[in-house]
Amino acid sequence: MSSETHADPTAGDTEPILTVENLQTAFYTDRETIRAVDSISFDVKRGETVGIVGESGSGKSVTARSIMGLIDSPGRIMPGSSIKFQGQELTELSDAEYRSVRGSGIGMVFQDPQQSLNPVYTVGNQIRESLKINRGITGEEAVEEATDLLEAVGIPDAKRRLDEYPHQFSGGMRQRAVIAMMLACDPDFLICDEPTTALDVTIQAQILDLLKDLQEERNLSILFITHDMGVIADIADRVNVMYAGQIVEQAPVEELFANPKHPYTRALIDSIPGEHSRKEGLETIEGEVPTPNEPADHCRFAPRCPKAFDACENVPPQHVSVSDEHDHTAACLLYPEDLTESHRVEKHLSLANDDTEGDT
Amino acid sequence: MSETTSKSIREDLTQRDELSLYTRIANNPRPFFKWAVPMLVLIAVEFPTYAGVAFGMLDAVVIGVTGLLDAAIGLVSSGLSQTIRDAQYAVVGVLRDAGGFVDGLPTLFSREVIPNQGYQTGPNGPWEGTFLGLEPAYAWALRATLIFAYALFTAYWVFRGWLVYRDHYREADWTPTDDIVDNLSNHQWGKFGIFVLILFLTMAVFGSALGPTTVEQNIQSPYSERINYFNEDTGEVDQVFPGDANFNSKSKGSAEFNVGPMSYDDYGRFHPFGTLTNGRDLFTFMMGGARITMIVSALAIGGAALIAAVFSMFSAYYSGRVDLTILTTADGVVSIPRLLLLILVSAVFANHWIGNVLNGGFLLAIIFAFTTWPFLWRAVRGPALQVAQEEWILAAKSYGQQPRTIMRKHMFPYIVGYLLVYASMSTGGIIIGLAALSFLGNGLGISPPTPAWGRAISMGQDYVSGPSWHISLLPGLMIVLLVTGLNALGDGIRDAIDPEAGGSAEGEEAAAGGGG
Ligand code: SF4
Repeated sequence: MSSETHADPTAGDTEPILTVENLQTAFYTDRETIRAVDSISFDVKRGETVGIVGESGSGKSVTARSIMGLIDSPGRIMPGSSIKFQGQELTELSDAEYRSVRGSGIGMVFQDPQQSLNPVYTVGNQIRESLKINRGITGEEAVEEATDLLEAVGIPDAKRRLDEYPHQFSGGMRQRAVIAMMLACDPDFLICDEPTTALDVTIQAQILDLLKDLQEERNLSILFITHDMGVIADIADRVNVMYAGQIVEQAPVEELFANPKHPYTRALIDSIPGEHSRKEGLETIEGEVPTPNEPADHCRFAPRCPKAFDACENVPPQHVSVSDEHDHTAACLLYPEDLTESHRVEKHLSLANDDTEGDT
Repeated sequence: MSETTSKSIREDLTQRDELSLYTRIANNPRPFFKWAVPMLVLIAVEFPTYAGVAFGMLDAVVIGVTGLLDAAIGLVSSGLSQTIRDAQYAVVGVLRDAGGFVDGLPTLFSREVIPNQGYQTGPNGPWEGTFLGLEPAYAWALRATLIFAYALFTAYWVFRGWLVYRDHYREADWTPTDDIVDNLSNHQWGKFGIFVLILFLTMAVFGSALGPTTVEQNIQSPYSERINYFNEDTGEVDQVFPGDANFNSKSKGSAEFNVGPMSYDDYGRFHPFGTLTNGRDLFTFMMGGARITMIVSALAIGGAALIAAVFSMFSAYYSGRVDLTILTTADGVVSIPRLLLLILVSAVFANHWIGNVLNGGFLLAIIFAFTTWPFLWRAVRGPALQVAQEEWILAAKSYGQQPRTIMRKHMFPYIVGYLLVYASMSTGGIIIGLAALSFLGNGLGISPPTPAWGRAISMGQDYVSGPSWHISLLPGLMIVLLVTGLNALGDGIRDAIDPEAGGSAEGEEAAAGGGG
């Protein structure tokens, strides 16, 4: 594989392959505007796995689709958003240019392996389709390559299974096949949108191991989207916690689990089954993620937040550093902790004003 | 060690993939030949019939398409349109020559091999000129039975061919089509639909051999050649023009002027369905009408389905404004009263060449296609929208597939089933619409003297409650049978695609929507 060639020695590990800045994706309906992704920023460095975690409805899948350029009407990426992939601004690309970035640059693995493969074509057919479009490989060579790919994702008896239909594969095998289909484009960057959610726990672990192996072999960068804190702890290097279209906390994975700062992150970690509580899912946090249909002039977590105070309803919290050693920020009016409440509120207010001025 | 074995196995298997269908057959030719040799024989014995149908269709398509091109380009450059017309004449000339040539070739189940037209040499005397001296009714019945048996068997053998391919030569052990075929073959009502469809296709293809006489001799030019008959008054064998014989064999609703079903007229001619009010043979008339009906409705529904498929995939894939534009167009088309449009267009093109292609059927097919696609589009848009949401479409997008290929490869296979269901149900509406136009007459519908079902019904409408009831009733029953069969086929396909979905409400809606 050609994976070793593109790592620029001077840039090293710090060069981001993907930089998302101030991404806003809104859906326009007759009644309201839903700010599914509301001004988020993060980056992914080469060879690294960045996680986005949040409940359903938090905007994580829309984030993935925005990066892939797969937002259909009535959805729209707002002006002022920026998605840079290998230095190229994606939001300005035409449809045809985007098509060439997808696949050969960015690949995506979807949630439901049942659904990501077209049931009327054989698995081999679909992998070869991908090979043909992105690498121009056809005929016997494509069969060889497809076989190699299936072997690379750990499917035994690969050659024979190329001629089988998706429904003849088990769930885990199907997800492996989908990953093989995406690898067929030889991407540098892989977006995994809940790739293990539909699988049972042992299979889930196998797929995660597979992704880690592939990442090492091919120097892949991965953006991993999930609602499951356990999975995030297993696979991610750095984590973004998303709530109602916004990122509320960013930190390296050990730091996040050791020192969660945002009340929402704490609730998420508390709700991991098995460790602190016996409860399933997010039952420890009452209520649901609100639909972000109003501008962010308050903390969207306030209705569910155990530590909410008056200002939370009126002041939009901004990202502030919450750790001296680590790259750890949280968007909550409780921080920075060393200031008094009124100073904190003031600081956030002035940060918010700086931001809006910067925008206009 | 396992490394080398697995590699050699893989090479072994990889070679298998290189094999073309030809090589696969060469490796195991027995099942193929066991199927192909009978198939060849089946085709060969009736080859001129098939070739004749093919040339006739090509002829109409060439004239229709070049004519439309001519009309479009004529607006821009008259020189170019002249070139197109010249090309049209040349191609049509060749096609007609070829058609004339294959027409002269013998076929197995022809009226020459099993003739049913003859005459008695005396009162109760033996029959002259019929097959083995049989009575015309038996000779005709024998030929008709053989033709239907042949057609059904051929249809089965074609299906057998697919089974042979599936069992012996296909690489995949299983494909989704297998389930659909299996479901359909367990669906009695659906099989009834297939049977009816084959029956009527047989009439369309073998119509001229099925009738006791020919459209040419009995209907189109009845004064060109005399036929022999036994004249009871003189006690001798006389000659008469079929036209004159028709004149004396009219069914006019009274006891003395009536030749009912399964009876002979005074000229020793057998009429399985009786005669029309002008003395022509109703069965021959119906067979002639079957061909034009099947061709026109196939063209119409094919055109409508094509437009509906393309538009529904556009609607689903691009949604938003594209969808809205198509929706508005479709609503616009639906709001045009179909009958008024047909009358209008028929009047405008009355003396135009396009009004003569397929005896006016081509124009009708275009109008029916134009007025039917919105119904199909509405029916198929839902499934198309559903497929467009599937993750494999997103997956295909995410590895950079072209929209055109996504629609063709990943969406079309899903809507084609629904398309078949609604198309077969809407075809009933088109057939009824066609019959209705011919029923109205007055320059509408298929132009006389080419047979059209609706015209037979209209001729008989004064006599429905008398001895000549057969004129209206039999064509009417045939239309009902065909339309019912098509609906049955639609039901069958629907249940075969999706055995769980039982409700038939949507289907009825489509059938009603398609009704003219
Ligand atoms: S800003 Fe207020 S409501 Fe929001 S998380 Fe912090 S404490 Fe809770």
